[in-house]
Amino acid sequence: MANMSFENHIVKQFDGELEEVRTRLMEMGGKVEKQLTNAIRSVVEIDSALAEQVIEQEKSVDEMELDIDEACILIIARRQPAATDLRLIMMVSKAVNDLERIGDEAKKIASHAIILAEQEGPAKGYTEVRHLGTGVVGILSNALDAFARFDVDAAMRTLNEDQQVDLDYQSALRELVTYMMEDPRSIGRVINILWVIRSLERVGDHAKNLCEQIVFVVKGKDIRHQSHIAQD
Amino acid sequence: MNTSTTLGVGTLPMSATQDVSGAGPVNIELTATQATVGSAQIPNAKMTVRNVNIFYGEKQAIYDVNVDIGKNQVIAMIGPSGCGKSTFLRSLNRMNDTIDSCRVEGDIRIDDENLYSPKLDVVELRARVGMVFQKPNPFPKSIYDNVAYGPKIHGLADTRVDLDEMVERSLRKAGLWDEVKDRLFQAGTGLSGGQQQRLCIARAIAVSPEVILMDEPCSALDPIATARIEELIEELSQNFTIAIVTHSMQQAARVSQRTAYFHLGRLIEVNPTEQVFTNPEHSLTESYITGRFG
Amino acid sequence: MSKTPQHLEKIQRSLVRRYRAEKAFRWCGMLAVTLGLTAVLVVFADIFMKGTGAFSATYIALDVTYDREVLGIENFADQRQVNTADWEALLKTALRKEFPDVRKRSEKRKLYALASNAAGYDIKDRLLANLRLLGETETIWILADDDIDAYYKSWLGGNAYTARLTDGQLGALQALIDTDRIQLHFNANFLSRGDSREPEQAGIKGAVVGSFMTLILTLVLSFPIGIAAAIYLEEFAPKNALTEFIEVNINNLAAVPSIIFGLLGLAIFINLFHIPRSIPIVGGLVLAVMTLPTVIITSRAAIKSVPPSIREASLGMGASRNQMVLHHVLPLALPGMLTGAIIGMARALGETAPLLMIGMVAFIVDIPRGFTDPATVLPVQIFLWADSPERAFIEKTSAAIMVLLGFLVTMNMSAVWLRKRLERRW
Repeated sequence: MANMSFENHIVKQFDGELEEVRTRLMEMGGKVEKQLTNAIRSVVEIDSALAEQVIEQEKSVDEMELDIDEACILIIARRQPAATDLRLIMMVSKAVNDLERIGDEAKKIASHAIILAEQEGPAKGYTEVRHLGTGVVGILSNALDAFARFDVDAAMRTLNEDQQVDLDYQSALRELVTYMMEDPRSIGRVINILWVIRSLERVGDHAKNLCEQIVFVVKGKDIRHQSHIAQD
Repeated sequence: MNTSTTLGVGTLPMSATQDVSGAGPVNIELTATQATVGSAQIPNAKMTVRNVNIFYGEKQAIYDVNVDIGKNQVIAMIGPSGCGKSTFLRSLNRMNDTIDSCRVEGDIRIDDENLYSPKLDVVELRARVGMVFQKPNPFPKSIYDNVAYGPKIHGLADTRVDLDEMVERSLRKAGLWDEVKDRLFQAGTGLSGGQQQRLCIARAIAVSPEVILMDEPCSALDPIATARIEELIEELSQNFTIAIVTHSMQQAARVSQRTAYFHLGRLIEVNPTEQVFTNPEHSLTESYITGRFG
Repeated sequence: MSKTPQHLEKIQRSLVRRYRAEKAFRWCGMLAVTLGLTAVLVVFADIFMKGTGAFSATYIALDVTYDREVLGIENFADQRQVNTADWEALLKTALRKEFPDVRKRSEKRKLYALASNAAGYDIKDRLLANLRLLGETETIWILADDDIDAYYKSWLGGNAYTARLTDGQLGALQALIDTDRIQLHFNANFLSRGDSREPEQAGIKGAVVGSFMTLILTLVLSFPIGIAAAIYLEEFAPKNALTEFIEVNINNLAAVPSIIFGLLGLAIFINLFHIPRSIPIVGGLVLAVMTLPTVIITSRAAIKSVPPSIREASLGMGASRNQMVLHHVLPLALPGMLTGAIIGMARALGETAPLLMIGMVAFIVDIPRGFTDPATVLPVQIFLWADSPERAFIEKTSAAIMVLLGFLVTMNMSAVWLRKRLERRW
């Protein structure tokens, strides 16, 4: 199956409009991915300037969300898409929301990076952030790749990877709690780190949503809230 | 964008037979043996259609159609022009009999009675299976006479009072009563297009049919009139079984519970409407409803 | 973009050409219409000018004395005496009294010829209607002979036609003119009498009644049969080689020259069935056979023009084929059928040739009183009069044509009116 072509409509402009929305979503994905990487770097490398830049850039992500959403609404109003076209538009409209949230999380991480840079204390927890960050960025980029190719297999694999991120998150939490118990002076810093990995975990969830939506577009099956499917 | 499907996301009936490679225009070989996908047969069917072939002279218009029409349900038939959906619809109350060259083979039943058996009288059949046509076609008579015509010829009303009551009830059901009650004896042809079509529906339901066939009932109407007819169809579906042929996919999506897709005389897919319009099983259906041909 | 002005220029040039062509075409059309109309108008004006004369006749005022002696009737109750009496003697006496100078026998005979030889019967009718006039003298207007009529009408026109009159007659007429005792009156005879060898007595009523009877019969025969055939062929007949054959032949029949139908009538109705010739029955039969194809063809066209949506609607309601035809198709097709029938009738009304073959060309004086009385019809009457040598028949011929045209126009107008009246919109 998976004859995921959005071309060959009788109305040629429709092909163009769908292609346009897809391209812009990919662009936004790339942008968000970049934001996330920068945010993580700003934490790990204690780079306040980079963090400022991430916060600054967040606005343009928001604008992209609004733009793409509007394009989707226009397509629905003008073309009354059905079946795959309809699913694609719905998916894009939701994915854009997820991407914007990831952008928000990146911004949060960046603002914590600034606070962390100003705080005194032992540099604990960066390893966890780096480790989790790498995992999450990996998931996000896999999800975006899967979307670009409408690759259900890749999307399903990515869904499973997210479980690994959850496990990593749990162990990082435990690790950080240990730090706080060992050295109560570090509580202030570690709580900020905690916020960062909490954000990373959220990003993982959003990336997972993206993958679910790819499956929805291609297969027409809604696999949200059905954890058992992932185990198949 | 073609990926191999190895993932078990539920049970997807699309199998390798429909795996089309390449992104070119959809071009699927239709074979005579190809079966309809989806749920063509359902429990609680009002009419059943089995192995029906329809011919115009030598030319075959309908190939081996099997489908059930659910009681008090709306089934919409969609498909490109010339796909045979109207021909098929007209075979459901034997309107095809009026065409000399037309021949229907197979088995069509209403409540287990064979439509084409010699025991079934065609006049009686048409009183049970009413029809509304594409172009509003009220008789050039008064509104009252239009609605009263069916009861009159079938002898349904014993007295004038009965008849009056039937006319009023039918017009009310068709949502036309308030608009025409003061001019019942004016010509039905003087009404607006939408009103004329509702008059035709009132005329059809005046004989209390069990099934109403509608052949593109809104194609000659403006959007507001169309909306009123669609609303009416929804109301009527509580008491009547309705089969509607439509060119408007949105209309099919709005009014029907099940949708049948015809292509070149074959019934390609029958499924619940919500499935057909979000996730059709057959790629031909998909191509049609997404506007890739037709 | 530099192309645009050139483009426009080309369009403008071609526009000029197009408008010129259009104008020329329109002029051609108007010219054609004008020519046609002029021809029709000239013919009509000619007929009208010649024909109006027939609606008036010359009358001479005479002082008639109803003298029992002159008549030689003793008992007015005795039919035989009344019928054999010399009614013209009253006229002759009155004329002699009017012109006492006339002595010679031959001149007297010429003098008597001033009055139509039917004038005696007019006096008879007048006296019998009122016997108290007996013995009285009164001035009455006597119908003049056709030669006098021709002279007087041409004299009024300024160019007196004297060829058929003697000097004595001319002198007498001049005297009458001088005393204003000769006048044109409305010619009631023309509309109320049958044919006659004497032009001044010839009337058209016989032909009108004959035409009417023949047409009634034609209508009664051809309309129901034609409609029934049309309905059967259009709605019920299976489409096969036989019906195809019938259809083709009906179309062929409509194009057969009418004289053939006359021959057919002669062979079948008269020779085979021995229906007497010259009677409206046989005329009606022949014309019915002749108009039948026309009625069938127009009726079928009318049935075909009933929109299929109406048929579907009624069949879809569960009407039987028969109900569909009777309730819906027929009422909608009827106006068209009626116009077809009326136009067919109009054609039959103007038809001469087939009637010549079945003897309706005979000289018939009596007005037919029934379908079995010998009769003639309007176009045949016109043909007969046009053939007559008397000068006065020229105006009779034209007047008869006017009557025929009047009927045709009335029939066509009623066809239009009927269609307007009965036509329903859908």
